[in-house]
Amino acid sequence: MSRALSFREAVALVARREFMQRARDRSFFVSTAITIAIIIVVVVFPRALSFGADEYQVAFPGPDGGALQAAAEAQAELADVDLTVVDVADTGEAEARVREGSLDAYVEGDSVVVERDLASSLRVVLENSHSAVSGTRALEEAGIDADQVASALETARLDLVTLDPEADERTTRGAIAFIGALVLYGQLLGYGFWVALGVVEEKSSRVVEVLLSAIPARALLAGKVLGIGALGLSQLLLISVVALGAAALTGSIALDASMLQPIGLVLGWFVLGYVAYACMSAAAAARVSRQEELQNATTPLTMLAMVSFFASFYVFFNPSGTGPTIVSMIPPVSALAMPIRMARGDAAPWEVGLALVLMFALIAGLVVVAGRVYEGAVLRMGAKVPLAEAWRSGRRTRA
Amino acid sequence: MLELVGVSKRYGEVVALDDLHLTVRPGQMYGFVGTNGAGKTTAMRIVLGVLDADAGDVRWQGRPLDAGIRREFGYMPEERGLYPKMRLLEQLVFLARLRGTDAATATASASSLLERFGLAGRAGDRVEELSLGNQQRVQLAAALVHDPRVLVLDEPFSGLDPVGVDAMATVLRERVDGGAALVFSSHQLDLVERLCDAVGIIRAGTLVADGTVAELRGGSGSRRYRLSVDGPEGWADRLVAAVDGAAVLDHGPAGAPALIELPRDADDQVLLAAALRIGPVRQFAAAEPTLVEMFREVVSEHAEPEEEVAA
Repeated sequence: MSRALSFREAVALVARREFMQRARDRSFFVSTAITIAIIIVVVVFPRALSFGADEYQVAFPGPDGGALQAAAEAQAELADVDLTVVDVADTGEAEARVREGSLDAYVEGDSVVVERDLASSLRVVLENSHSAVSGTRALEEAGIDADQVASALETARLDLVTLDPEADERTTRGAIAFIGALVLYGQLLGYGFWVALGVVEEKSSRVVEVLLSAIPARALLAGKVLGIGALGLSQLLLISVVALGAAALTGSIALDASMLQPIGLVLGWFVLGYVAYACMSAAAAARVSRQEELQNATTPLTMLAMVSFFASFYVFFNPSGTGPTIVSMIPPVSALAMPIRMARGDAAPWEVGLALVLMFALIAGLVVVAGRVYEGAVLRMGAKVPLAEAWRSGRRTRA
Repeated sequence: MLELVGVSKRYGEVVALDDLHLTVRPGQMYGFVGTNGAGKTTAMRIVLGVLDADAGDVRWQGRPLDAGIRREFGYMPEERGLYPKMRLLEQLVFLARLRGTDAATATASASSLLERFGLAGRAGDRVEELSLGNQQRVQLAAALVHDPRVLVLDEPFSGLDPVGVDAMATVLRERVDGGAALVFSSHQLDLVERLCDAVGIIRAGTLVADGTVAELRGGSGSRRYRLSVDGPEGWADRLVAAVDGAAVLDHGPAGAPALIELPRDADDQVLLAAALRIGPVRQFAAAEPTLVEMFREVVSEHAEPEEEVAA
């Protein structure tokens, strides 16, 4: 009917409880929904705003209207400007419509008429088409056949040769990783706080005594960190899928396999950052007995997360240089900063390797230190347990 | 049987337990009493392995405890000890599984315990939604759900109404009659006296009295008698003056019996004869000391300045 649990089974039971209990918690749904809403606003909103910015209503009422219109449409296509040609009866109507704002500009003869100013992208389109049309007309007047002129102009286009064809893509990937880092900063704080809150909840309800009479303290700690981590990772995957989907639907980025790379990097590094952060949170929380004291106990960790947050800005806006290189290798800051450099292709393999080694070293150290402080402090009710005292009594407690 | 052998524990400068020896047998309900801070909770935590002793051993059936044996222990900490936001049935199943019970058995056992405590209809409620009395019942169910052979309960009866006390006592008695060993702490000494097969009194981390209530009485150095005599005022003082070693513990109000103490080896018939010489004796009865009286006596015998230990 019953038999002793192995350490691994105890961890699995605790982790499963953490996952199931929190996944059904209403606050979990709310926080997921809010994060997804923020992402959608960030991804979709700039794109929605930009509709209208590069879109122009133009009329060509003059005698050359037809030719100008054709040239302008061709130029607009090249310049990626959204140009709509509006039919007007005469110059008077065109002027009236510019005044009332339903027309951005009209071209007549050698003039372009606007209400106040002319957007530079539209100016380029209109000037190019005007000079093409007047050039053709001048050549025609000089006796050269119109078709010859047209074909000569047609072949005079520049071919595009890109020396770094992936540069654009790398920038996009870097940006995705940066947005990822911003989201992760919040999640790192959030999940770390869940761990801390869970520890204090068990302590203040004294259920920790019942639990520790059945399983070792380290199994309880490991199960809690893993269960909350698994839930956090699931939430992040969901958020990533929604964010990428929204970005692809609105055309902000072309979704392909290479865009999944930064997401993968960010999530991979997040797992490492989370483990380090969760261990520290658990140890800090085990020292206090009431939720009211939690804020105070975890302040240093919040500061650390903020340092990571600003470091990721620093690294994002300074692609090259020794500073960002070093910052991106220091754990646990590397968890947010390194994926940005990796996604952009700025990080040399040895830098990634060193960052990983340092991160794993930190985690290994934290598992030992945090595990012992947790063990030493989690049963001590009342005043905040001094760190050194928790460390000392941690050794004596049953492993 | 469960044995604590020479267990000591210090918290920094404060001695919580000092060479504590204690034995609880299967089929025995053991009451653990002592002043606040005497070390009851510390002792229980050490038994459960939640704390480590600085010195001494805890043994079950002669073997030192390890995680495998402790799995068969049930524990109820002093105040609460449940996840406030977790649903009753899930919580009980989880706690049973932590002690190695398989999922099906755990579910069956948890359901039947909830049924037993009249909480079957609330299996899906969160603990925090229950009244304090009901939370206490769930707390006990959590200690019983894996069918433990040893039960260690810290203040299980505090905060329960008399009906709740009786219901809990009945459940515990069943387990003890089924062969479980039970040790519980309490400040309600009348309850301990009524329920327990054996009692230990702890003071400043040491057991100062141990045995059945009858044995504790037998160990007392004196006997007491309730005596009522139709005599002039001050008859009780005249009486004890006439009998060697006798003393008045309580004169009582006029017309009511007085409480007289005799040395253990004195003949109580001498006292009766002396009383008859004063006047007609209306009442003469041996007065058994209550546990409360013995507790006061034992604790004050070892009187030292009261130490307050975070127990």
